[in-house]
Amino acid sequence: MRDGDALENNPEVTRSALEAIHSQVFGWALSRCFYDQAVAEDLMQTAYVELLSGKARFDNKSSLKTFVFGVVQNLARSRYRRRASRLRLVKQYHATTPVETAELEEPTSDSALWQLVQALPSRQRDIVELVFCRDFTVAEASAVMGVTTGTGRVHYDRAKKALRKQIEQDDTGNEL
Amino acid sequence: MNDEEQQLRQALKRATETDPAPPAFAAVWSRAEADYARSKRRYTWIATAAAIVAVVVVGLKVSTPVPDEPSYIEMAELLDTTSWTAPSDVLMPEYQFDIYEDLPAVPRSTKPVEGALL
Repeated sequence: MRDGDALENNPEVTRSALEAIHSQVFGWALSRCFYDQAVAEDLMQTAYVELLSGKARFDNKSSLKTFVFGVVQNLARSRYRRRASRLRLVKQYHATTPVETAELEEPTSDSALWQLVQALPSRQRDIVELVFCRDFTVAEASAVMGVTTGTGRVHYDRAKKALRKQIEQDDTGNEL
Repeated sequence: MNDEEQQLRQALKRATETDPAPPAFAAVWSRAEADYARSKRRYTWIATAAAIVAVVVVGLKVSTPVPDEPSYIEMAELLDTTSWTAPSDVLMPEYQFDIYEDLPAVPRSTKPVEGALL
């Protein structure tokens, strides 16, 4: 039976369920767009439009949170691709003029550990963020990232090793 | 999850606690609904306009009578485009067959059949 606030084109999704994960999705959207709040809001709005129109159709194969995180991830990725191709075009026509990458700002958090995470390769950074900060399992995080669980596990292990190494280096550096 | 991972989780959670507060769900949702409604309306308009144009084009095509223009066949042109060969032409000398130019001599019959010669 369909819930009262179920979406017309996405009967498995309810408005209240989306509202419950709204803040977590926003955190994820923020990290997808270099902590640009306006872009994150735009990403979320577009994700909701995708759900409303049924372009992104949830079929209960994963949790709703995993699904919505995946939608945001895909939207951010296609936005990044569009941006990258636009930048390439601009560079092509203004080869001598340096192009500003306005949105590539440093994250707002000043935590040293967070800085270390941000310095990881993108896949490792994503899985660390999803598992440690957004409470996903490695399998769920892999689904969000669009990779197999095995691949996700490899990224996860490499990320942990890299973080451990960095932390140890920092510790010995501080001791000296 | 082991102790090391648990510590990492707590440290990272603390680090991301400074994320800005999310915008109100109702506001983002209503904007998304408006956006969706707008795109649906736009699609409906485009589909309607395309249908109207198609109907007008078909209507004009159907309603405009096509005059029957008289057409003539030039006999000479028609004959130039056709040729006809008799099936017996293969017997003609240019086909290099042996043909009879005289009647062949038929030998006289000497064998009687029922009292008469064949």
